[in-house]
Amino acid sequence: MRSRTQYIPLNEAEAGMTLAAPLNVIQNRQTRFSLPAGHVLTADNLRQMAANRAEFIFIVEPDSRCDEDIALDTALVARRVMEIFSHADLSDPTAMALFDQILAYRNA
Amino acid sequence: MPIATVTQDEVIARTSGLPSFPRIVTEILASLDDPDCNLNDLSDCIVHDPVIAARVLSAANRAGNRTTGRAQTVSDVYTAASLIGLSHVRQISLLSSIGQFAQIAANECLPATYWTHSVAVGISAEELALHVTAPIQAEAALIAGLLHDVGQLWLFRFRAEAFAMARERACCRGVGLESAEQEQFDVDHARIGAWLAEHWNLPPGIVAGINEHHKAFPTTKFQLAPLVGIAEVLASALDLGGRSENKVTGISSDACKSLGLVFDKEIQPLFGRIEARSQHANRMFATGTSPTHAPR
Repeated sequence: MRSRTQYIPLNEAEAGMTLAAPLNVIQNRQTRFSLPAGHVLTADNLRQMAANRAEFIFIVEPDSRCDEDIALDTALVARRVMEIFSHADLSDPTAMALFDQILAYRNA
Repeated sequence: MPIATVTQDEVIARTSGLPSFPRIVTEILASLDDPDCNLNDLSDCIVHDPVIAARVLSAANRAGNRTTGRAQTVSDVYTAASLIGLSHVRQISLLSSIGQFAQIAANECLPATYWTHSVAVGISAEELALHVTAPIQAEAALIAGLLHDVGQLWLFRFRAEAFAMARERACCRGVGLESAEQEQFDVDHARIGAWLAEHWNLPPGIVAGINEHHKAFPTTKFQLAPLVGIAEVLASALDLGGRSENKVTGISSDACKSLGLVFDKEIQPLFGRIEARSQHANRMFATGTSPTHAPR
């Protein structure tokens, strides 16, 4: 099954969600709490994260869109990103790298 | 030839028509370099501002509910601050106080998207400060980002008609707003904002960040200058702030290099944090707005 990733605030997190990236809560340069990528969150984890002042988490969830919807969404995203960058000189390597990463992020 | 020159003397003289700059901002800035600063110092300041106090209590109660799984009622700022932490209390205080300031400064008629854009750039600057290798204080970056367009707020309040004309001209000719302002007022909003920041005794790094946020090659030694400029580029690239006119016209390779910022796949989590936090902050710290004007 296809999946998609997104950042959500902790108050929108629910038990059963899967972490898309390792969670490391660092305070005063010390790791207070961590969970690995792929970990399925439990109610206890949510309480621990709150207690350790985690604010946002990166989750992966099933992508239930059909192929046509994905193609349409991808086209819309590409159009908007190109519109935003329409006045940028994309022969500049830094501008091009930013453009590429924004497009990749939007299609993740 | 400028149609209606704006001078530094006029900008400073008219600050008497603005609300006082929030004292809590300077208190927080002073505390950043004070190793002895603790939650009590900040809490003493917060208890005198009912709006900030209410927001801190609300955040603490939400955090308490998540931690214990049952409804909690934290009713004093000291307990609330210890529950959610110094950094979160500082963020709430800065967003809340500068948002209130902008709202009152605009005569309760804050231009649509002015604040949402400022929040997006503030959060982007704060996250960038935490991400890059250059040593930059995240709270200072948040303040510089929240205030980067404060010069536009001054023009909106005191030169509304001429400012609207400058905006119109920039839009029609497809040039940057700062160029149209320069023609109209012989100065742009970045410089006006820097004069205001100096007047409010904000640190030189924040003044430089506001002053040079449109410059492709910042000339100052302060790294907040390239950081705020890039933060605004990222906010536009991520289409934040609900602005249809979001545009990326370029990004300075030198500025990225000076901050140690590289755009490869490792940057994706940063984009995610900036977007999620910006949207969240704009929901939490929304101000009443007017749809008549949308800063670029």
